[in-house]
Amino acid sequence: MVLLKRLGLIGVSAGALCAQSTSFGSGLYAVMEKANCRACHTVDGVASATRLHMPETDATPAMVEAFGKSLVVLVDRKNPEASLLLRKPTARVAHAGGEKIKPGSEDEAVLKAWIGQLARLSGSELDAAMHFREQEDKGSGAASQDAELRRLTHSQYNHTVRDLLGDQTAPSNQFPPEDFINGFRNQSRGQSLSPLLVEAYSSVAERLARSAFQGGDTHGLVPCKPSAACRARFVREFGLKAFRRPLDAGEQKRYEGLMARETDFLKGAQLVVEAMLQSPNFLFRLDATTDPKLKPWATANRLSYSLWDTMPDAELFAAASRGDLSTRAGVEKATRRMLADPRAKESLNDYVSQWLRFDRLLTASKDRRKFPLYTRETANAMTEEARTFFSDLVWNNGNFMTLFTADYGYVSPELAGIYGVKAPAKDFDKVPFPAGSERAGLLGQGLFLALTAKPEESSPTARGLFVREQFLCQKVPDPPPGVNTNLPPVTEAKPQTNRDRMTEHATNPSCATCHKLIDPIGFGLEKFDAVGARRDQVSLQFRTTKGGGRGAPPKTINLDINTVGTVAGLPDSQFSSPAELGAVLAKSPLCQECVVKQYFRYTAGRVETPADRPVILQAVEDFRKSGYKFQEMIVSLTLQREFSGRNTKQEGAIHVASNH
Amino acid sequence: MSQVITNRSRTSRRSLLKGMTAAGARIAVGLPPLASMFNAAGTAYAAAPATGAAEKPIETRFVLWFNGNGIPERYWIPSEEGTDYELTPCLSPLAAWRKDVHVLSGVDNAAANGKGNGHTNSMSGLMTGTDFTGRGPSGPSIDQIIAAKIGTDSRFRSLQIGVAQESFGESMQRNMSWAGYERALPPEMIPHRLFDRLFGAQEEGWVNRKRSILDAVLADASALEKKLPGEDKTRVEEHLSGIRDLERAIAGLPPEYRKVEAPDFDGDMKDWPRIAKLQSDLLVQALATHQTRVASYMLTKCQSITRFPWLGYTSARHHDYTHAEGKTAGADGVEGQRVLRDICRWHVEEFAYLVSKLESVPEGDGTLFDHTSLIYTHEHAEANPHKNSGLAMIVAGGSKKLAKGAHTRVTGTVGDVYVTVADEVVGAGIGKFPTASRKMGALLT
Repeated sequence: MVLLKRLGLIGVSAGALCAQSTSFGSGLYAVMEKANCRACHTVDGVASATRLHMPETDATPAMVEAFGKSLVVLVDRKNPEASLLLRKPTARVAHAGGEKIKPGSEDEAVLKAWIGQLARLSGSELDAAMHFREQEDKGSGAASQDAELRRLTHSQYNHTVRDLLGDQTAPSNQFPPEDFINGFRNQSRGQSLSPLLVEAYSSVAERLARSAFQGGDTHGLVPCKPSAACRARFVREFGLKAFRRPLDAGEQKRYEGLMARETDFLKGAQLVVEAMLQSPNFLFRLDATTDPKLKPWATANRLSYSLWDTMPDAELFAAASRGDLSTRAGVEKATRRMLADPRAKESLNDYVSQWLRFDRLLTASKDRRKFPLYTRETANAMTEEARTFFSDLVWNNGNFMTLFTADYGYVSPELAGIYGVKAPAKDFDKVPFPAGSERAGLLGQGLFLALTAKPEESSPTARGLFVREQFLCQKVPDPPPGVNTNLPPVTEAKPQTNRDRMTEHATNPSCATCHKLIDPIGFGLEKFDAVGARRDQVSLQFRTTKGGGRGAPPKTINLDINTVGTVAGLPDSQFSSPAELGAVLAKSPLCQECVVKQYFRYTAGRVETPADRPVILQAVEDFRKSGYKFQEMIVSLTLQREFSGRNTKQEGAIHVASNH
Repeated sequence: MSQVITNRSRTSRRSLLKGMTAAGARIAVGLPPLASMFNAAGTAYAAAPATGAAEKPIETRFVLWFNGNGIPERYWIPSEEGTDYELTPCLSPLAAWRKDVHVLSGVDNAAANGKGNGHTNSMSGLMTGTDFTGRGPSGPSIDQIIAAKIGTDSRFRSLQIGVAQESFGESMQRNMSWAGYERALPPEMIPHRLFDRLFGAQEEGWVNRKRSILDAVLADASALEKKLPGEDKTRVEEHLSGIRDLERAIAGLPPEYRKVEAPDFDGDMKDWPRIAKLQSDLLVQALATHQTRVASYMLTKCQSITRFPWLGYTSARHHDYTHAEGKTAGADGVEGQRVLRDICRWHVEEFAYLVSKLESVPEGDGTLFDHTSLIYTHEHAEANPHKNSGLAMIVAGGSKKLAKGAHTRVTGTVGDVYVTVADEVVGAGIGKFPTASRKMGALLT
């Protein structure tokens, strides 16, 4: 009712309004929330490339007000009626989201009133509003919420027990599987400890400790001749490695006591190992800390688990205890040394397998009748090709954006058939794609094309979603609840291409808003079928329904394909092949930024917040300046995370503390 | 350290039961209490004058049973109400037990309307009565709410058992039991691992050794917990409570556990009907030997994509079949619905197997089934439109308090069903559930 009264006022005379000013928070903001602008217009939404990003839902009133004023950049101050802020949501000009505010409605009146108010902004107020976006880039909101402790991921667990005890059995493969959250399996939010996992830790610890001392100290874990002094030394030295920091006095005493329960020295050592492997100090690793004494150890842990996916080596421990890791130069030196180590490759292999969702292809199956040659080996070859491609660009310091434009693949006999090339003499050697194949980079390779398809047919929606989420870092909202997400089936009487069939998405308003942003990306890739083979026509097969129709030859209908696609929101993004889409992505700042963001999410174990903006922008800048060298991006991001934001503040605090 | 051995596990007498599992494997596990342990009428555990223990009622148990996706309503929900309903094709495996089950339809999943992909929000509402956060539900699931009331004296507060391993999906699809906000309790899917947890043999001295280790770990965890802020603390607390559970499980090991021989687990580990029966056998033994009172059983995942070679359907996956609309001809239509009918009949078959096994174990003057209540549920009613109002469920159990032998179209929510069964039949005294507002009279005698 307040709203209506205010509207009444607006109706009286525009002149009266000049003196009035309403707050954004109580007026237009509610209208924008009602219109659900937030579904797309957020920093990581589908409309992230536009100039409108709704503030976080927990933004303070002051931030909401500042955001309201910042909308002035979408206002034509000379001719408010021509403002994009008015014409977009009312669909007077093309708006990917469609008409969200009805022309002539009360909501539109609220919008117009606010536009009027913005048009009259002047002086410092206008100046601040115009520069809001730059403020956004400097970071806002609460400091990044890095957890202090992160649970070892299953893969880190395997690597750590390998480096600690020489165990090669990859015991965590038997643990309850980790779930994908924010696109990765290592996110803090997903790291809860179920009783089943605690039990698995316990029984694996028992087994590992037993085999560590089977037949004596075969792994050289005991550094001295058995004695009371040696017991203390064993606890101290093994404890340092297992907890990846020095033990405190209480821990030292506790574990010496435990060890003394056994009269046999090695049996006692076995007890210590078994207990430490179940301790939270082993299972969780320090990532950030406010304790100055622990800071160098947290840094060492962060470096080794993000760069190597395993525990620090002796040299990194030494660097931590010498204090080398408190300086930028020290951390950069350590980072570069670690990147040159084979363990870094292993770590990035894990990264790429998650970023590009190898799991989805490896667990999917394809219609055997339609793709008789597609086997598990084919799926393995597709992931191996992607891994080889990615590794080549990273470790040979290529331009990483070539990931989307390379005119070659890494081919095995399984892939040669799909690509229509001759298999190279050595599996996964580099082979140019045939001329005119329109393949390029990841988007033209088997992995992407097959994993974003259904068992029998390509899926433009899945392909569009994958591009938005994996390569542009845009979150696409889930379908509204209760909506039947099923398309009408293709029948013999009405044969249709995917594009025709999916026009349903575009005509049904509850689906259209999002699908107009997703499907057209996939339409441009339709010349590639569910296993990534090229086709010029789509071939529909219909079996007679009687008795399941086994054995009877299917009836085939061939349809032409229109492969015009577009990435709504990206300028000049019309394309009609993987090669053309790859070129669009490679030069898109959004995609370049996304490459950095994805790696950030993986190493930080969480999605970025507005407070991380400066860190990410600096890494993007360094990435660009290096000619898109992935390793340089890693170095930059590592340094940024270590020496900016919360960590910088902590260093201040530490400084004060050490003056006492 | 406190000893958590319950009176019951001290006084229980067990010997070996040698029998055959459905898969033909020999299984030897702790026998349920002998007749001499009960009072003369067989209605309660006998008083034990030597220890001063009074007569104790035989404990009730609760099993929440789930399989993924919804149902083809026309082949599942009976057309008639009351006791004279005709068993539908999907329910036909329950023919021998129709007097023991109550088929419900029209049950609303009142918390399913949050964001999610249809399956995930329904699953969250179904299990916990809370909104899907995007990563998990916002509260504990019904089995955990019940376990918090009646599970604390058992060796395992609750068990989570699963069958079909599917790598598809995120937490919300892969788990039915939740400890709380976004905290999944994954099911144990591997029979031999479940066996080891329940009856695993250990060498002499193992228990004491394990205890001293866990003491050190507990001390580490308590020390660490004190130093930590917010979310970090929660995770260390989870670890701490996991270690405590483990201590209790070790302390509560039945004295003769070393004599137990494992069944033969060799064979196709993706043969879901076989695995389902092995898991049911183990669940029945866990309940019979008082190792737990509460369990969840996840036959297939939410939004399941299992395949059904033993039914002769290999061309598509479960979820693909569920989106057959049943109107037109062909695999996307009528034919697909018939496939779905056969799939859902298999689900009910496995449920019936569990019921039959519970009935085969004598306990007091009746059987284990008399002291067990089961609720069978899916995340959707009609599968194709992701329908989450008007769910069909089965409530089963031998309790005289439970009204059975009928199909009833009820008005009410899954929460109403849960609270009615939990409080009136199981006697858990949970009092409330987010979506419950009243008891469901139709379920009670």
